[in-house]
Order: sequence, then structure tokens, then C-alpha cells
Amino acid sequence: MAAMELMRRSLVRRQWLDEAGHAMLVAVSRFTPGTNLLAYCAALGWMHFRGVGAAVAVVAGSLPAALMVAAMTAAVARIDRSPSVRTALAVATLVAGALVLSSAWALLRPHLFGSRRRWAIVAIALAAALYLAGATPVRVLLALAVLGAATPTREAA
Amino acid sequence: MSLGLLYLLLLKATVTSFSGMGGLPQIRQDLVSTYQVVSDEQLSRAVLLGRSTPGPLGIYVVSVGYVVRGWPGAAVGWLALISPAFVAVPLLLVLRRWIHLARMRSAVDAVVIAGGTLLVPAGLLLARDAAFQLRELLGG
Repeated sequence: MAAMELMRRSLVRRQWLDEAGHAMLVAVSRFTPGTNLLAYCAALGWMHFRGVGAAVAVVAGSLPAALMVAAMTAAVARIDRSPSVRTALAVATLVAGALVLSSAWALLRPHLFGSRRRWAIVAIALAAALYLAGATPVRVLLALAVLGAATPTREAA
Repeated sequence: MSLGLLYLLLLKATVTSFSGMGGLPQIRQDLVSTYQVVSDEQLSRAVLLGRSTPGPLGIYVVSVGYVVRGWPGAAVGWLALISPAFVAVPLLLVLRRWIHLARMRSAVDAVVIAGGTLLVPAGLLLARDAAFQLRELLGG
């Protein structure tokens, strides 16, 4: 979301996008499977230059980081036999676990403190129950999508 | 594992994710548990490298691809990362009409909640594995 905010500021300043257009792109990116930022880029590119714009925007938004992370993976694979490096990596993995949990909290927090708190708790409980019952992540997501579509907000229905 | 199968498995994870890390449980199930081509330690490291790099949160799938098949695997991981983004184009056209519908917004919210909930066990597993590694390395 931080990257999208930076893009909004830059694009609005250049008059490529207005606030309503940005809100539409954010909504589209939230509903698109995969990485929200890349969906935002694809939709933005399409709005301005159709297919070529979408392709250029997605490549520009992902390729530099992809090359960097692949190179880093290659480098780490060569040096990780050293005990000190392995210890450092284990500590870093612990941090990664904390980051994943913070990502989960960032996704859940707006709903737990929003206007549909009870509904969010029921949704979380259902997702957790399905997971613990052995359902695959895809099935959990589909079940929750059905729950969401079947229980829209009363004021907006 | 063939590059085609790797692409399909990573695509399954990215296409069923509505957040950067949302595909992690699916990747763990497929590549660690089912096909056993990636260890929990390697997956943890891929996540860490992905989070250490500027760019989209889901970039760790490139690292996962590299672990499985080297540079061709990384390229496949990148393709699996960017493929779902193009769904945004038809969605943009459709949602311009339908996003104001309560049922649509509620379905999106529920999927985001499911993604967040599924991340909790994935994060706990990473932390647990790291704790075990540390205990072994430090001679505990």
C-alpha cells in the first residue's frame, strides 16, 4: 500500500490520474488475485496505453526486484555452510516469521476494528476451522468468498 | 520437477493469493509437503530474501523458483508472479460497473480475511523452524 500511495502522489501530480481513478485502481487491485501492486500497475498501464502499457508497467514493477532476489538467493546458497552464516540466517528467519505474522495482522486489523467486527470474527473463525480441518488454502478462500457474497453489509445492500 | 509443473504450482499459489504473502501456505503445501523439492528452511530463507528486497511483497516466489531449478526456475517464478496481474485488466472493465455492489465488496473483504488468517500458521511455522535451528546451532 505504501508503494501505491507513492504512485498516487506522483501520478496525480502529473495529471495522469485523479483521486477517483486511483480509488478504482486500488479496488481492482484488491480484487485481483496475486500481488496487489502489480495488478495496480497492469490496470494503470491499460488505462493509458492498453496492452502494451499493461505489459510495460508490470515488467517495470517486478523485473528489477526479481533479478535482485534471484541473485541474492544464488549468493546465499553458496555461503550458507558456514556456522556463523547459518546462525545469522536462523535469526533472520525468526524475523521473517515475525514479518509474516505482522502481514497477517495488517490484513486482519482493519476488519477487526471496522464496522463489521462480529462478521470479521466469524469469517476468521470459519477460515481457521476449515484450515484446521485440513481444507486446502484454495478451498478456504473459495468458502470465504461465498460467505462474503452471501452476507453483504446491510447499509450498502 | 519440470519447469511447467513448477510454473503451474507457483501460479496456483499466486492466483489464489490476495496479498503479497497470501500464497505462502499453498506453496508450503505443494513444494515442501507434497513434492518435497523445497525444505522449510529454504522456504523461510526465500521469504526472508523476498522481504529484504525492494519491490512487491510476493517477490519471494522468484527465490522459491531459484531454489527448485536455478535461474530458469527463478524466471518461472517471476512469470508466475506477474501472470495474475493481467487479470486486473478485464476486472477493471467489469468492476467499473460492479464494485459498488455490496456483495462484491463483501466477498473481497472475506477473501482478504481468509488470506490473513491463513498467514498465521505459516508465520508460526517459520518462527518455530528458526527456533529449532538456533537451538541446534547454539548446541542446546
